[in-house]
Amino acid sequence: MSGPLIVIRGVTKTYLSGSVETPVLHGVDMRVERGDFVSIMGQSGSGKSTLMNILGCLDQATGGTYLLDGADTRTLGRAALADIRNRTIGFVFQSFNLIKRMTVAENVALPLIYAGVGRAKAQARALTELERVGLGALGKRTPSQLSGGQQQRVAIARALVTDPPLLLADEPTGNLDTHTSDDIMNSFQTLNRERGITIVLVTHEADVAAYSRRLVRLKDGLVLYDGPAQEGLRQLAGALPAIAAGVAP
Amino acid sequence: MNLIQVLIESFRSMAANRLRTALTMLGIVIGIASVVLLLALGDSMQRFIGKQLQSLGTNMVYVMPGGDRTAAQRAREGKVAVLTLDDAEALNALPSLTGAAPALQGSFKVSAGNENLSSTVIGVTPAMFTIRNWKVDQGTLFGEADVRASARLIVIGQKVADQFFYRADPLGRYLRIENVSFQVIGVLAGEGRQSDGTELSEQILVPITAASAYLVKSPFPQNVHYINAQGKPNVAMGDAIQDIKEVIRDRHRIRVDDPDDFRVQNLNTIAETANKITTGVALLLGLIGAISLLVGGIGIMNIMLVSVTERTREIGIRMAIGARPNHILLQFLAEAVVICLAGGLVGIAIAASGALAITKFADFEVYLTMSGVIVACGFATVVGVFFGFYPARRASRLLPVDCLRYE
Repeated sequence: MSGPLIVIRGVTKTYLSGSVETPVLHGVDMRVERGDFVSIMGQSGSGKSTLMNILGCLDQATGGTYLLDGADTRTLGRAALADIRNRTIGFVFQSFNLIKRMTVAENVALPLIYAGVGRAKAQARALTELERVGLGALGKRTPSQLSGGQQQRVAIARALVTDPPLLLADEPTGNLDTHTSDDIMNSFQTLNRERGITIVLVTHEADVAAYSRRLVRLKDGLVLYDGPAQEGLRQLAGALPAIAAGVAP
Repeated sequence: MNLIQVLIESFRSMAANRLRTALTMLGIVIGIASVVLLLALGDSMQRFIGKQLQSLGTNMVYVMPGGDRTAAQRAREGKVAVLTLDDAEALNALPSLTGAAPALQGSFKVSAGNENLSSTVIGVTPAMFTIRNWKVDQGTLFGEADVRASARLIVIGQKVADQFFYRADPLGRYLRIENVSFQVIGVLAGEGRQSDGTELSEQILVPITAASAYLVKSPFPQNVHYINAQGKPNVAMGDAIQDIKEVIRDRHRIRVDDPDDFRVQNLNTIAETANKITTGVALLLGLIGAISLLVGGIGIMNIMLVSVTERTREIGIRMAIGARPNHILLQFLAEAVVICLAGGLVGIAIAASGALAITKFADFEVYLTMSGVIVACGFATVVGVFFGFYPARRASRLLPVDCLRYE
């Protein structure tokens, strides 16, 4: 395994609703090296969620190429994409997206079940993963019996249970208070540093983006900035008063 | 993703919506219960009628003198239509028949001791015992030699034996018919209605020659009242009847254009009609069951579609963490099949109790056949797969991104 984990070139995405075409991405280029920690920022409508969905193989790009771990995702069928989502990508969503009817441990074990791992083995590995996020004792509960922060930790455990090289997080702290957000972001940082997991997250909060090493800013479907997070955030902080001044009457 | 996992998930999602699952199942329960019960009913009815007819003898044929014309018409033409012992003998030799037995029948005064009553007495040959499958409980039947000798021997049914010789051994005792003594040599085994409407246990049988000589006292000892014939099991009744007609027409020297001077009656026509009716009834009942299964199936499809919509987000989550389209398809299909099979089992249970109730209260034996139960389970599965497939495929074809966006 060598070479960058993610390579996208000239990716475009146009939504069709009826006969109305809505272009969202106008040609995005991006590379993510293994072990990187990237934040994607942008205002709503900038295309950051669309880009995230394409990166996560949840959606297909209209144009351009997307190589994930060396595989050209645009040539793959639905089953193959499912396998990629299963083995290569771990997802963490804003609204946790745990299955309510299942226990915490079952939620975490589910990706392994889809990977064809036996029930007992999957449960055992799920418990190990839950212990890693500090929730080993809560395996038998249902998601609704947990706090938001705990649910997001369960989601992280689920994302990592198949040992994927890539973790994609879409506004992972959007539904959490500041204190819990810091907790979650700290664990992301630990995962990145200690397990070498590549992390790409979408956020609109500068504090969250500050945990990352690199920042990609999108505007109107194009990359506005791609560089070190610190530098990018400084530019953003400088730009904000200017924008505010321009808009104010 | 193995089958056990799929089943666990199905049960879980069924349990999550108990009332809805129960209501959905209801259509299948009713459908399967009616199909199973109706199959059992049809089967039992057919068996019942078959048994009834078998005891009557479906392959039994009655040849009677006189055709479609009345005796007066024939008398005017100067012809007297009769059947004789020789006719019976000729029929007995037919390869398409098991046998042909002549009979003389009449109502006579029968007495023993103080008992005295008017009864039907039939004069027969041993051939009658063979084709009617009459056997003795005690004693023996009379044979050909007894017939040739016009022996005054008598074989009686159980009820007759009870009437005249209550509790005493009837063998060797005498019955007087029209003041002629006949010695009892056998008592018939069994009881029940016969094809001619008489009761087996009320039979009084004497050698046909003795009946002719002592009871009917006919000037034509060769004449018989009717001939009872039985077709061979592997011969079509129509062919056997055709053979009988040819032999008798030939013997009676009836010209090609002239009508028969005898009649051939057969129970098989009745049996066929009865069979058609039961088959028709069974088909009709089966149709009703099939319609309720169809309606039940549509109910399942409807609920599965609702369930797919309701669980769109869950489908999205599952896809995001690696469920292939086939996993989703299998999951929803399994759910539909599990609902149907569970409904089928409940339906079979209801049908079984229904059958028990009918057997107990209606004096008519109904029991579920294994084939019926297997057919029902198969039906339930087919309904599940058929009506579950469309919603399941729809679920599997959803795009993960759309599902995750669904609120």
